[in-house]
Amino acid sequence: MNLFFFLMSILYGIVKFLHINFVPFTFAGYPIGLWIAYFIVAVVEVVLVFALSMVAVIIIIYVFRKYMADAQNRIGPNRVGLWGTLQLIADVFKLIQKQDIIPTAADRTAYRVAPYLVFTPVILGFILIPFGNVSILNLMVVNFNYTILFLIAFMTIAPVGEIIGGLASHNKFSLFGALRSAAQDMGFEVPMLISLISVIILAGSYSANDIVTAQRFIPFIVPEILGFIVFFLAMIGRQSIPPFDLPESGSELVSGFSTEYSGMRYGIFYMGNFGFMALSAFVVAVVYLGGWEGPIFPGTIWLIVKGAVFIFIFLLIWISLGRVRIDHLLQMGWKYLLPLSVINLLISACIALFFGGLF
Amino acid sequence: MEDKVIEVNFGPQHPSTHGVLRIKVKLDGEIIVDAQPVIGYLHRNAEKLAEMGAYPKGMIYIDRLDYVAALNMELGYVLAVENLMDAQVPERAQWIRMLMVELNREASHLIWLGTHGLDMGMLTPFFYCFRERERILRIFDEITGSRLLYNYFAIGGVYSDVTPKAIEMIKEWTDDFVTKLEEIQSLLGKSYIYVSRTRGVGKLTADDVLSYGVTGPMQRASGIKRDVRKNSPYLFYDKVNFDIPSRTEGDVYARFLVRIEEMRQSASIVKQVLEKLPQGEFYNKKYSKPMLVRLKTTGESYVPTESPKGEFAIHLIGDGSSIPYRVRIRSPSFANLSSIPTMLKGYKIADLTASVSSMDPVFGEVDR
Repeated sequence: MNLFFFLMSILYGIVKFLHINFVPFTFAGYPIGLWIAYFIVAVVEVVLVFALSMVAVIIIIYVFRKYMADAQNRIGPNRVGLWGTLQLIADVFKLIQKQDIIPTAADRTAYRVAPYLVFTPVILGFILIPFGNVSILNLMVVNFNYTILFLIAFMTIAPVGEIIGGLASHNKFSLFGALRSAAQDMGFEVPMLISLISVIILAGSYSANDIVTAQRFIPFIVPEILGFIVFFLAMIGRQSIPPFDLPESGSELVSGFSTEYSGMRYGIFYMGNFGFMALSAFVVAVVYLGGWEGPIFPGTIWLIVKGAVFIFIFLLIWISLGRVRIDHLLQMGWKYLLPLSVINLLISACIALFFGGLF
Repeated sequence: MEDKVIEVNFGPQHPSTHGVLRIKVKLDGEIIVDAQPVIGYLHRNAEKLAEMGAYPKGMIYIDRLDYVAALNMELGYVLAVENLMDAQVPERAQWIRMLMVELNREASHLIWLGTHGLDMGMLTPFFYCFRERERILRIFDEITGSRLLYNYFAIGGVYSDVTPKAIEMIKEWTDDFVTKLEEIQSLLGKSYIYVSRTRGVGKLTADDVLSYGVTGPMQRASGIKRDVRKNSPYLFYDKVNFDIPSRTEGDVYARFLVRIEEMRQSASIVKQVLEKLPQGEFYNKKYSKPMLVRLKTTGESYVPTESPKGEFAIHLIGDGSSIPYRVRIRSPSFANLSSIPTMLKGYKIADLTASVSSMDPVFGEVDR
């Protein structure tokens, strides 16, 4: 029942946010018509956002492969579809056809669940991103008072999937990958949350919507450049892409936590990673670059442009840097990022204290 | 404490073992307690096979030792055989050999640089290195007719002359190779991540190097300035100017710098050889194949050469019959590998790949 009320409250939030006014159909005192309306709106928006996030993943993987190939004197995918645009879809079909191999010693349930634990939170996270503020076509599916907290919570689930997958595989390399994943995420999570808290202090709200609205004059990157650096680095670390791809680390640990995975299970890990990249690019854009705020163009376009800039920065870093070592990484997390984020917290607390209502 | 140590097999099927190296590693968390190399997965009996045929027939097995620097391997064999039978080699043939060997050293070091980048988690330098290597292979294709295993050096010369087109290609290559190398080096050497991961990692002191018989760039990175090309010149290495790069740190970063500098020196040697290349015969007509097959010699010969991995030589013993009595291969990678336990103890897993790839082992040569 709790879940039901939770969903209802979310749906109520949507309808309230959309300013839909109509006379609900009631039966025996229950506003059933209203519920149906909520339900339809929610389903449509969830499907839309799901499609959007999948399209984002497909586009990112294509752009990544082409861009990487271009940087490395290669051609990249150019056979399937126009300029190789359908390569990913062909890859997915190939992966689905593959035999599903589960090691005999593996914990079968956990082994099966792990890829979805990486993939699902990404989709859930997309639901909470405020994509625009055009009144009726609002692409924000859910708006309630704690969206940014939920967003971070969803992003925290993904590494748990990596850890479970690594432990369940019953392989030494996977085990090392899982342990590294755990250490790395702890190292980055604390500085990330502290720099997020300073944003929340400045915005005075936990809602992603309010955080964006608070940046209509000055984006938070200006008063909180330290926090931005910390958050951005932590985001790269949380996605486990190079230079922080320690859980996978292709050359040392074979494939880290995903060593034993093959076929579509591996494909889900892969798509989850790229989805996570898109999600974190949008989160950085929302939290520090003012999300949809921007002149002339519609808000959605602004957010997508800002997100795309971050995705390109991620890819550029991916292409040009090597892998850091685990002790260097933990040193960076605990020794530099944590103090920096605390300093940033103090700065933003001072700003909020002295210029309280400015933002 | 005992229970915490787990044993992990790195290899023989592992993405960063450069072939079929297996390292039995005892790990305490991420720290390496003990590491033992296990070899023999690519053993092909090259020595005994070479002892079964006439002298020129051994070449194809020698070719396949260090397959990324096949010409350097051929040179070792050819020099040993020629020394054994006091063969006369035309001057032009010797210069051509020098040219080819230096080009092949570049190709080998480029492969090392690319795979070293891969082991450090960088994909991009790999493609840049292979782009440059591809140009060298095209030159080889033009001169010798093949790209990887050449069978090009013959007893008494080389099998085909350097064509004018090939000389054009080499000139074109030498013109911009150094700038390209600079570009690749900056990708790795100017990256803080790379430098912090390699400095002070996989250290070998000068004593270690001497006791393990480590040679080549690894030796020179540990402070022992010894290069067979300078110390006991074979071909015409005494007639060209080049430096022996050396460092004293003995870590992975020092090996990286030494190899890069060696590539520069090789490029300059290639340039000088092109200037000094004399006209004349490229093959001593006296040594035809039928004559060589029936050739009977006695005695021993050992001519050390500097292969990309270190001191390479073949100890050849003739017993008066037409087939060699003994073909003993002194392969540098084999000796270099023996330093693995010293090099890895106390470092982390991530340093294992860095250190092993800094040795540049090629398994055709280790396992013979």
